Amino acid sequence: MPGGKKKSRLLRHWPRLLFLIPFAAMLWVSSYNRTAPELGGIPFFYWYQLAWILAGAGLVLIVYWIESKITHTTEEAQEEAEPSGVPGDIL
Amino acid sequence: MSLDLTATSVFVALFLFVTWLGFVAAHWRKADLNVLHEWGLGGRRFGTVVTWFLLGGDLYTAYTFIAVPALVFGKGAMGFFAVPYTILIYPILYIVFPRLWRVAHARGHVTAADFVRDRFGSRLLALAFALTGIVATMPYIALQIVGMEVVIGALGFPAGGFVGHLPLIISFVILAAFTYTSGLRAPALIAVVKDTLIFITVFAALVIIPAKLGGYGAIFSSVPEEKLLLPPPSGDSFGSYSAYATLALGSAFALFLYPHAMTGILSSSSGNVIRRNAAFLAAYSFILGLIALLGYMAIAAGVDKEPAFAAGFAQYGPNFAVPALFLASFPSWFVGIAFAAIAIGALVPAAIMSIACANLFTRNLYKEFYRPDCSDADEARMAKIVSLVVKIGAVVFILAIPQSYAIQLQLLGGIWIIQLLPPILLGLYTIRFNAMALFAGWVAGTAVGTAMAATQGFTSSVFPLQALGVTIPGYAALYSVLVNFLVAFALAPIFDRIGRTAGSPAR
Repeated sequence: MPGGKKKSRLLRHWPRLLFLIPFAAMLWVSSYNRTAPELGGIPFFYWYQLAWILAGAGLVLIVYWIESKITHTTEEAQEEAEPSGVPGDIL
Repeated sequence: MSLDLTATSVFVALFLFVTWLGFVAAHWRKADLNVLHEWGLGGRRFGTVVTWFLLGGDLYTAYTFIAVPALVFGKGAMGFFAVPYTILIYPILYIVFPRLWRVAHARGHVTAADFVRDRFGSRLLALAFALTGIVATMPYIALQIVGMEVVIGALGFPAGGFVGHLPLIISFVILAAFTYTSGLRAPALIAVVKDTLIFITVFAALVIIPAKLGGYGAIFSSVPEEKLLLPPPSGDSFGSYSAYATLALGSAFALFLYPHAMTGILSSSSGNVIRRNAAFLAAYSFILGLIALLGYMAIAAGVDKEPAFAAGFAQYGPNFAVPALFLASFPSWFVGIAFAAIAIGALVPAAIMSIACANLFTRNLYKEFYRPDCSDADEARMAKIVSLVVKIGAVVFILAIPQSYAIQLQLLGGIWIIQLLPPILLGLYTIRFNAMALFAGWVAGTAVGTAMAATQGFTSSVFPLQALGVTIPGYAALYSVLVNFLVAFALAPIFDRIGRTAGSPAR
């Protein structure tokens, strides 16, 4: 049942949509190419991007945490024996 | 500059310590090192912590620690693109590479070329992968030597001539010897020392130097205004904004395609190790961001105007900014530690890169085209020998050829390596895809990317793309990989049809 499989993967991986946020934030250069407000003498351009390193790492942790929760609670057995479209199984 | 004895003694002592560590590493997690995946992938048993040190030591290289602040020192805000770049690599690492790890683990792949060879059944595509990987990595190894050369010169060794190059040659002989005996275990263990030293150095720098210079406010106010921010775009051009964004994005996509990054990923013990590291590796990004700011501290300290450092700047250019800043700010013994951190920081990636090149050569050129029936022991022996050849090649390269060539080749390397993205992604996320179309895409992408860099005289990888009456300066790697994707998608149905009418079974 390929449709069902697709749905379960979407269910499991929806947290990954959060990764769109750092991409949008970092590629929108004009939003942070400014000096004000400063933080401890450091212009906005610099401390904002440094802060995003921490925010990005936090997002990865959140996604990891939610995903491992989803897999553990609902699809524990299915995950390991997953006969999905992953090439590892095709090959 | 005369030789700084205290600093040199500390430097040499630390260097001897990691040399000993490199040889001892052969006994760590003991296994038969005459099998390639034991020698060249550490037996695929590295857990979260070792992988963190290994990938951190592998990706945040000595050259990075010298060149990124040098770029900020010389060009200002544009040099800071390394920060958004390292932010964007981790979502990519999280999503794509545990999947690749799983396939590689199940099928015994040691290199990315192994993966495409197996996935698409195409020797041609695997050959393209192996050659691209080796050619893109060689100048990268050479640049690690540049990083070492700068700190050795800053210690006060006489520059130039055979005597001047001797410390460098000795370090590389040592590096070659322990890589030969211990394989990937050596850089994995040494990376722990390297990162400890780097962390100590950076924290000391961030406490001591701003205090000396009167705080961050004073540091930033001494930076010329035109360097502090990106110049806003004007007229019909996206100017520096699109350049900054595409450099970050393209570099992020290219990074994990490098053979040495692939080696680090495949040596981990599970997909979850990679996922966890996608979060924890950010610690290195943060350190890198802070190191970038050292460039401004060097401006504020005015090291380039000090007569004592004039010779260093004349010899090494902006790359001398950070060593000069350390010399001006730290006591001698701590300069020894800081410089050792940078030099050892060159050894770790140089070792992993040479192992990765050796894996590629042995698996995908030697075994594939020359000795298909070679035994496991032959394969491992060959890889060890190639790792020596690669390092000798890199040293000769840097001593015999002007340094600017290495920098230009490394710039081209980024453009070439990103062309491996379509086959990896399509190999992981589609059931099947035409191998010849992927090969054609690789040819087109490589050609277009190289041509774009050629229009800039190989001095910049930012290409001013003209489209719909506006100019969009952007990273040539990103533009050319789009061409690669387009060609692959356009030709796939055509090649599929030719394949079917020719009567061969659809692959």
